[in-house]
Amino acid sequence: MLSAAEAQILSTSFSVASLALLWSLPVAIACAFLLARQFPGKFLLDGLVHLPIILPPVLTGFLLLLLFGRNGPIGHWLEQVAGIHLAFTRKGAALATAVMIFPMLVRASRIAFEALDPRLLDAAAVLRAGPWDRFFSIALPLAGPGILAGAVTAFAAGMGEFGAVITFAANIPGQTQTLPLAIYAVLQQPGGESEALRLAGLSFTLAMSGLIGAEFLQRWMTRRLKG
Amino acid sequence: MNALDVDIRLVRGAFRLKAKFHVPGDGITVVFGPSGSGKSSLLSAIAGLVECKGYVRLGRTMLSDSAVDLHMPPDERGIGVVFQDARLFPHLTVRQNRAFAFKRAPADRRRDIEDVARFFDITPLLDRSVGNLSGGEKSRVALARALVAAPDFLLLDEPFAALDGMRRRAFIQVLLDMHKRFALPMLVVTHSIDDAAALASHLVALRDGEVAATGPFDQATREPGFAALLDSRDCGAAASGILLHSGADSGQRYLWLRADHIVLATKRPVAISARNILEGEVMSVQTEQDGSCLVELATSVGVILSRVTGEAVAELELAEGKRAWALVKVHALQA
Repeated sequence: MLSAAEAQILSTSFSVASLALLWSLPVAIACAFLLARQFPGKFLLDGLVHLPIILPPVLTGFLLLLLFGRNGPIGHWLEQVAGIHLAFTRKGAALATAVMIFPMLVRASRIAFEALDPRLLDAAAVLRAGPWDRFFSIALPLAGPGILAGAVTAFAAGMGEFGAVITFAANIPGQTQTLPLAIYAVLQQPGGESEALRLAGLSFTLAMSGLIGAEFLQRWMTRRLKG
Repeated sequence: MNALDVDIRLVRGAFRLKAKFHVPGDGITVVFGPSGSGKSSLLSAIAGLVECKGYVRLGRTMLSDSAVDLHMPPDERGIGVVFQDARLFPHLTVRQNRAFAFKRAPADRRRDIEDVARFFDITPLLDRSVGNLSGGEKSRVALARALVAAPDFLLLDEPFAALDGMRRRAFIQVLLDMHKRFALPMLVVTHSIDDAAALASHLVALRDGEVAATGPFDQATREPGFAALLDSRDCGAAASGILLHSGADSGQRYLWLRADHIVLATKRPVAISARNILEGEVMSVQTEQDGSCLVELATSVGVILSRVTGEAVAELELAEGKRAWALVKVHALQA
């Protein structure tokens, strides 16, 4: 089945994608909830959210280096205050991945929130539920299937992030070498095609299971929700 | 008790609402008006779901007052709302919908939820999901849920709009019983004069976003502004429900007697099928545009109206001060 090296690559990919999802999802849900309603300056936030899609991934990685690198303003502060290094570490790979999957998460959550009947929130308000209460007890559960499906898709996509990750976190086996980075590495060596093909097959299977899993999960949850 | 005082102005696109009225803290007040007259906007403003100019006061508490930029959020007002479309939470069962309200009710004012469930006959529905309830079941669950939240005042936005005939009358009966049992002041929106008469002790009539008439139901319905709200075939008057023979003890406060359904006689009729023969004195006779005449008659059940032809007025010599008997079919009382 899998060689030790392949298992390590897979585990790195899983851990990077999981961490990325953990960081990205709460922020994405908050952004999506905001974007599903009207407020001044909405177009600015909307643009900002979509930036990682528009920019070349290498540029996103480079911007992260500028901000979160040792000499970058945030990176320097993080090292001083918490002793955290991000550039060229696994956490850094997760941060780059988090940024890249962020637009996808916002989009899925936003669609879910926009499908929500705002009159139900009014009904909750007159039953003495405050704004936070309404968000957690009505909006979030009803948008849940859409958000979760988005999260599974984003997780699958997150395991395949390349440009931003390699720029910000480099290609360190056992640390930041995820599946696509490993494919890239073996392709650089003569005769690496067969190993590359194995890894590619693995990557493809994971991505497809993610998509199919998301679809089934959403159907199942929606059915449960509507009784 | 918690009287409600409202003096608000609200602009929504091309629609303007300007309403000033007082709602007593006991009894049921009906907000009556044709669709588009601003009834739902008025309710939203009182509940705090939309911001408005002016003020809304419940008892001694100011709920909103634009003069001092006060706008209490809806979840702090203690005003419950039963919406036309029930708005049950689809991800929760009936039991969980009820629990949602119960958990958020002030601890010292919580009602016995099993008692409420029995009252609205929803105990067998508790474990159902709200998606497969009938219209009537949804309405009852929505009422129970609103009541369990222990509001100080309850607003109902055409809660029986989805119900027809028998079910509608049954639901009105539930509202009347509920009012008696739980002593909760209520404001009910409707565009049906029969529903209004059945429920109302007090009236706020709206037309084009303004108050056309307000006061105790039987008096307010006699204000000149009120008649203009009605379809000509609904033209009539409120009669005391307790004093009329309506075929069943309805417990309804008033019944709407349509002028078209009242026959007049100037001698006491005998051997006749009409169950209600009301003796009274003619107060006025008005000729309408179409040539028919509206006769106002003071009776023991209140001032009622009868529409008769001009020939009949001449033949019976109907004029102010004349003694007359009004005949009302029981059937006419069950609109």
